[in-house]
Amino acid sequence: MKPLPLHGIRVADFTWIGAGSFTTKLLADHGADVIKIESSGRMDSLRSSRPYKDGVPGINRSGYFADRNSSKRSITLNLKTEAGKDLAQRLIATSDIVANNFTPGTMEKFGLGYEAVRAIKPDIIYIAMSMQGSAGPEHKYLGYGLTMGALTGLQFLSGLPEREPAGTGTNFSDHIPNPCHAAFAILAALRHRRRTGVGQYIDVAQTEPTIALLGPAMSDCSANNRIQERTGNDRAPRAPHGVFRCQGQDRWIAISAWQDDTWGALCKVLGDPAFARTPQLATAHGRWVNRHTIDQGISAITCYWDAEDLMSALQFAGVPAGVVRTAADIVDDDPQLRHRGHWVKLAHPEMGESVYNAPPFRINDAPATPVAPAPLLGQHTDDVLTTILGLSAAEIEALRREEILT
Amino acid sequence: MYDAVIKPRISETAQAWSTPGPVARGAPAALTGIRVLDLSGLAGQYCGKQFADLGADVILVEPVEGSPVRREGPFLDDRAHAEFSLQFAYFNAGKRGAAIDLDRPEGQHIVRQLAKYADLIIESEKPGLMERRGLSFASLVASNPKLVMTSVTPFGQTGPYANYEAEDVVALALGGLLYLGGYPDTPPIAAHGNQAYLAAAQFASVASMMALLAADEGGDSTGRHVDVSIQECVTMGLETAIQFYDLEKTVRKRASGEQIMAGVGVFACADGEIYLMAGGIASTRFWENLVNWMVDEGVDGARQLLEPAWQSHDYLSTPEAKTIFRALFAPFAERHTKAYLYQTGQSRRIPICPVNTPRDILTSRQLEYRSFFVSQKHAPSGRMLTVPGAPYQLQETPWRQARPAPRLGEHTSEILADLGYDAAARAALLKSGVIN
Repeated sequence: MKPLPLHGIRVADFTWIGAGSFTTKLLADHGADVIKIESSGRMDSLRSSRPYKDGVPGINRSGYFADRNSSKRSITLNLKTEAGKDLAQRLIATSDIVANNFTPGTMEKFGLGYEAVRAIKPDIIYIAMSMQGSAGPEHKYLGYGLTMGALTGLQFLSGLPEREPAGTGTNFSDHIPNPCHAAFAILAALRHRRRTGVGQYIDVAQTEPTIALLGPAMSDCSANNRIQERTGNDRAPRAPHGVFRCQGQDRWIAISAWQDDTWGALCKVLGDPAFARTPQLATAHGRWVNRHTIDQGISAITCYWDAEDLMSALQFAGVPAGVVRTAADIVDDDPQLRHRGHWVKLAHPEMGESVYNAPPFRINDAPATPVAPAPLLGQHTDDVLTTILGLSAAEIEALRREEILT
Repeated sequence: MYDAVIKPRISETAQAWSTPGPVARGAPAALTGIRVLDLSGLAGQYCGKQFADLGADVILVEPVEGSPVRREGPFLDDRAHAEFSLQFAYFNAGKRGAAIDLDRPEGQHIVRQLAKYADLIIESEKPGLMERRGLSFASLVASNPKLVMTSVTPFGQTGPYANYEAEDVVALALGGLLYLGGYPDTPPIAAHGNQAYLAAAQFASVASMMALLAADEGGDSTGRHVDVSIQECVTMGLETAIQFYDLEKTVRKRASGEQIMAGVGVFACADGEIYLMAGGIASTRFWENLVNWMVDEGVDGARQLLEPAWQSHDYLSTPEAKTIFRALFAPFAERHTKAYLYQTGQSRRIPICPVNTPRDILTSRQLEYRSFFVSQKHAPSGRMLTVPGAPYQLQETPWRQARPAPRLGEHTSEILADLGYDAAARAALLKSGVIN
């Protein structure tokens, strides 16, 4: 077994809430020593966000916080004091990466802006992930994951045309586009530093990665002057393509069977229904034109099927089909995710055993997985101050008395 | 047989990779010198783009009839033609392109030669197909010990679903995100724009970079195989759904079309919709600002929102609170434009923003300030296209505006020539349909 890919890399992690914490989780789960700098005065607000273990609130009980902070250490420093800033700077001096996702100007207030940090550690890789970037007419505007979905166009484009824009139902940018883009930029900068010895400043605006993913819709607007409409589950020119009701309460199956062979296979599994025998459905174009009729015809049959049975039958026939799984389904009943060991149970001092996401890829010979549950607030303060900064127990005690370590 | 036709010139440095990109400028590129073979389709091409845009030399290898992505709309001027797919043009900008039939021994031989000098191969074939072609990771790494190969498949290389068929919507379904999308009174609705495929491409980029760093480390001369599951990538986007189930035994459902709690949700305005987020995580800080704004704008009855009950999340989540709030806020919002509500609300420190259309985004003054959109040539038409540019700004090693996406087979001949195939050999391959 080889060491994890980021073994030996240290991150001074000032991120909080969504996108930032998920970025550094990717690094931590792959072997980086990620030290989350918190304070009880200005806590990561996810620590006080539902869901809580057994529904009981507590700063060390939030699952929202926990999953985003696996494999990290937590220290508490009062950055409003000179001594607190000094400790942060000394920690940064031993770090490879400094990460934050504050509103621009916040790190500067703590004396931890890029220029100040570079003076301490010239080859630092410093990533700032504010909402809209570090400068510009709207760079200090407020935002959260949900407002960001609206800003990026993903919300406008997802849902039904006649209803209000639906989006993904989650803070999507926080969970995939921003953490992935930020982590990729950090890793690219690490490569550059390894080759040249030069660190750098990275600015990620939390709106831009998602907009970059929407390049085709943006091109359609800029080149063809078309504002794409929401299309529900229709995806031209594919038909049938969509979500169909199955037996039971709120059970559904996703099916895409628009090609001649998969359409034929679908019809066979559904018992060669009369509606499907119409000659105009023999071509992909004909199916697209008549998609609403087809969708109704399919639903009238699938609603008598168990979703899992239907998926098995369709997959056996080579038709792309998948049960619309709930959170309960994918944690308890998905044989593929179980095979991949995706859900990892870690024992947390206050929450007991709870479920974490492993990284969604496997690198052979280096199977990364969350190694430790989310840290308690300040759990590793003494440990980090002792082993990394070389402070004595007496010095730590004095700092604690002066409320530097709160 | 093909060995008789082809006399490869094995040189110290692989000539096929040595052609400099057209973008060599002052600033260094973070990924300069990294050589990528992108054999992928919809689920991987954004990964290749991310590498190209930071300076890697990326060769897109397409089937002789063209990548299936060339058949994906939208099309420039709605011309459904392989050279007019805006989707293909966007996801393949910055790459060179070669059209090679990987199901023919001669084509497989070409790729084996290219793979000797590649740092990274991205592929998205069904599990087992690359092996049947003689292009498995194990066989390629044997002649290139630092090779990283990243395989993106719907469910991963092994396991009970490994041979299942999937498209984007199926991966969204089995990954749990589809169930969270849409309205309570409709079927679940999938996110726009192949977000499952793109999630996989993004994680593939992260994983590939990690593997490249590891393979590049001194003393470690063994390449890596990266196994990316699209379904598993989707599960990373479920927000709190897993934890609500694990910790509180609550199954989260789709809820669009309603306020999440009073003050959080979409509201119609004069020219579209806005998203307001004055409750929830933000409530204690921003509620008062919002109410004062409504009072100042003359909204009758807004003052009642300052009563203590409205500071409680539990109360904000009640149907009563949502109804009262909507009755007060909706008529106010409907009188104003997205831009007015955004600018005025933000100046009062309220998290409010427009539900932007693509056109709103193309004309955003913030994105304009950041020079986010770039102009990119569409070679077949000669038109300039406005497309998203840098999704990250790396100060020392900036994202660079890429060369246009390759025309079908644009660089096939050049790449084969550099591998040592002379004109006669290339003509023979072309004639037999192995290349295009």
